[in-house]
Amino acid sequence: MDKITVDSVFKSFPPRQRGSEAIVALDNVDLRIAAGEIVCIVGPSGCGKSTLLNLIAGFDTPTGGEIAVNGLPVTGAGPDRIVVFQSPSLFPWMTVMENVTFGPRKRGVPKAEYEAEARGTIEAVGLSRFAGRFPYELSGGMRQRVQIARALVNRPQVLLMDEPFAALDFQNRLVMQELLLRLWERIHPTIFFITHDVEEAIFLGDRVHVMTAAPGRIKAVIDVPFEKPRLIEIVTDPRFVAIKDQVLHLIRSEFERSDRAAEAAESAMRT
Amino acid sequence: MTEATDGIPRRAADRQHAPSLARTNWLRVRYPLVSVLAVLALFGAWELATDLFRISPMTLPSPRLMAKSLQTMLAEGYSGRTLGEHIVASLLRTLTGLLAGVGLGVPIGLLMGYSRFVNAALMPGFGFIRPIPPIAFIPLVILWFGIGEVSKILLIFVASFNYTVLASAAGMRSVPEQLVRAGTNLGLTRWQLFTSVMLPAAMPQIFTGIKISIAVSWAVVVAAELIAAQAGLGYIIADAGTFFKTPEVLIGVFIIGAIGLLFEVAITAVERRVLHWQSKA
Repeated sequence: MDKITVDSVFKSFPPRQRGSEAIVALDNVDLRIAAGEIVCIVGPSGCGKSTLLNLIAGFDTPTGGEIAVNGLPVTGAGPDRIVVFQSPSLFPWMTVMENVTFGPRKRGVPKAEYEAEARGTIEAVGLSRFAGRFPYELSGGMRQRVQIARALVNRPQVLLMDEPFAALDFQNRLVMQELLLRLWERIHPTIFFITHDVEEAIFLGDRVHVMTAAPGRIKAVIDVPFEKPRLIEIVTDPRFVAIKDQVLHLIRSEFERSDRAAEAAESAMRT
Repeated sequence: MTEATDGIPRRAADRQHAPSLARTNWLRVRYPLVSVLAVLALFGAWELATDLFRISPMTLPSPRLMAKSLQTMLAEGYSGRTLGEHIVASLLRTLTGLLAGVGLGVPIGLLMGYSRFVNAALMPGFGFIRPIPPIAFIPLVILWFGIGEVSKILLIFVASFNYTVLASAAGMRSVPEQLVRAGTNLGLTRWQLFTSVMLPAAMPQIFTGIKISIAVSWAVVVAAELIAAQAGLGYIIADAGTFFKTPEVLIGVFIIGAIGLLFEVAITAVERRVLHWQSKA
């Protein structure tokens, strides 16, 4: 059965000023993600990737269409679908340990249950020595590890990742990508992963969805045939490069299309 | 990390050339020493100037004369009360008004920051009162409540209440959306979200409001005591001024300054402990 189903979802935001039109962020988006699958979304910025993630997370509701997780319509945010944000979203007044255990603690899970789990998760992301540290004492990459640990400790069935590694330097990004795949091996969560890094999308994803420039639609779906566990060496594999070439072309044609649209709108306004 | 005493991080290579203990001690004390010497020099120059230019003690008493007056004040008090009693009178008024103002101001401010409805209802009132200097209310509270304790405490209450309300409301509104989402996502109830995420996130601004409130309250209590009081530091300087007792005026001013400084040092120390995480993200 599909873990996540997005059915002809439409999302628009009210116009910013009087007289301007409503902004259509998502236009008839269909998406099916099987349990344990990793699906990556790439597309030009402003194409509604994050809007789609927010709808699945339950932070926002679609204007039309339906989103269901486990066959049940999404009505709000919950710990079965944890979001990993791009920007720092750790609680700065809590230590690493406190951040990681925050969810279970507040939900009333007994300490005996969550503590060992939290220690294990912190160890899995390689931060055992830093459990008592505060976020401001950690590097950007370490903070993202804490965020992932804070997500995983809830044993979420779904991980929603919104460009989680975009702010990291190249080396850290590679390390985190491999780490994510290793962690996936442990509990096989379903992962919805947004990125603007084509290589990252192909390296992580079982499938890569390319979105159109605004209003966002799914333009193409590309299957990535590599078996997991994957190692970073596959990025130089000719098949990998071929897929990358294909995705890049799809994205570039989107840029060109949106540029032409902008030009057309501009000339229409002049006349 | 290894740090040299003057705060400059040392590289590993420098450790072999670590300065001697004597030099380390000298490095540690040199700037405080300069400060102490500067203060001593100031008093020396003051003493010398009053002597040299034969300045009348009524205009500017010499430090030695002031020390003598301070001794007398410590021994005999001022107008029937000990110096300690005057200080306690001022402190008690300030702390009572401050505690009430902060105690009521923080929750109301948080509510305003949380609910747009409450904000819309209360903001016009606070927005109007905020720019009025609290001492402008002195005649009014004396008219209404006389010259007793009530009017002074009320003034301090109004001043501190105003600042904490606005700071707490601003703090609440500036809680990063991302943190609230993270909390919701982890399954927190609305109440848990309020107490465990929004409140701590708003703490730095609440603290700033409290800090301003303390400074303003201290200024307001002195101003109120200048006008109508039988005890307190403001009373001392007003009364001594009326009778041209310049040394007592200056001593009163110094004590007011010293206590204001102590307040500041204390609240900053608390802030450093409680909010060690702020502005380091």
